[in-house]
Amino acid sequence: MNCDDTRRLLDADVDGELDLARHLEMAAHLQSCRDCAQAAEASRARAAALREHLTRFPASPALADRIRQSLPARSARNPAPAWNFWRLAGGAAALAACVAIGFGWGTGRARSVRMADEAVADHVRSLMVSHLTDVASTDQHTVKPWFAGKLEFSPPVVDLAIAGYPLIGGRLDEIAGQPAAALVYRRRQHVINLLIWPAAAGSVGAGRHRRDGYEAESWTQDGLNFVAVSEIPAAELADFVALYRARVP
Amino acid sequence: MGESVPLPAQAPAPFEQIMLPHLDAAYSLARWLLRHEHDAEDCVQEAYLLAFKAFARFRGGDGRAWLLTIVRNACYSRMRKSRREEPAVAFDEQLHGAIEDTSGRADFWQRADIREALDRALDRLPAEFREVLVLHELEGLAYKEIAAVAAIPLGTVMSRLARARARLQAELRQLTQEDSPR
Repeated sequence: MNCDDTRRLLDADVDGELDLARHLEMAAHLQSCRDCAQAAEASRARAAALREHLTRFPASPALADRIRQSLPARSARNPAPAWNFWRLAGGAAALAACVAIGFGWGTGRARSVRMADEAVADHVRSLMVSHLTDVASTDQHTVKPWFAGKLEFSPPVVDLAIAGYPLIGGRLDEIAGQPAAALVYRRRQHVINLLIWPAAAGSVGAGRHRRDGYEAESWTQDGLNFVAVSEIPAAELADFVALYRARVP
Repeated sequence: MGESVPLPAQAPAPFEQIMLPHLDAAYSLARWLLRHEHDAEDCVQEAYLLAFKAFARFRGGDGRAWLLTIVRNACYSRMRKSRREEPAVAFDEQLHGAIEDTSGRADFWQRADIREALDRALDRLPAEFREVLVLHELEGLAYKEIAAVAAIPLGTVMSRLARARARLQAELRQLTQEDSPR
């Protein structure tokens, strides 16, 4: 790949839009070309500046109420029954999981996908019902003890405010039919839910999933399952996961 | 394990469950496109009603991109009616025929005055440019999703983003020079 090609595709690479082969070709070129490497650095700096400093206007709570009230009566016109069933199955989280456990899980991959789906449903519900946190605190030393006595395991709580992911609290949730800790972090105006529960009944394993416009990244570590869910881009969520994992004692 | 888990007392209707979590994304896009708080609120409410009526055609997938498409179209028809905004892309195609330098130097983007001027600079761009930047930089949509939301081909997404970034940088230079004449 020469300089012209590199400059043309540089932004696409920073945006994570290049296929692996081209991405690697570009990486090789950037290793050997200082001018292009500087341009790549500038492109990344621009992306970071825009993501962190442009205003994302939040909707007022009054607008949400207005919209709810303006919608015709509930359930009168529920379309696409198959889809609804799926959503309800996902939304009823543990129900589907219990059935699945009862019949014995399929492959690990299928289980992982199912858990990620549940985590996405938990995430959506936490945004929906204004029940984001049971304990609202930016202090890991407040959030961690709060879970003690409520759960049979101790979720690792780490502070990532310096890296741009402030902790805003914790919540009790449920996944795969088991009680789970939900740590709530913020990235700009976006919420990240990190669900943590014991892996004794089945590991979620490492995986990335995309569902309904949300990104989910899962892993299993020290006997615990983790799924991070958010609407932030997958690359950013991966960054969050890497930072979190680096700081878990 | 094996116990059934209680459902929420009244599970929200699927439409609300899928679409209301995207309200901030919807409002932010409308606010950036219309540049007016109340217009944006009215427009988003209108878009949610339209989305509700069209929900039978939603077959899963990315609920946010689907909703943003409707919000975007509602904003454009409002802009067309009020004629507050003329498309300015044609002018810009000529100005930035060659796309070379869209980002300048890294330290430019790390300057405090540049970061503070970002909102004002974006506000000065034509709607088509504000749109792709908001969808990409703020909402994190992939090129393919932007193509679907803005109803433009994938290649156009790339070139429009490149031009939008170059224009943004030019506006930032101008704004920060105006701010601090040296």
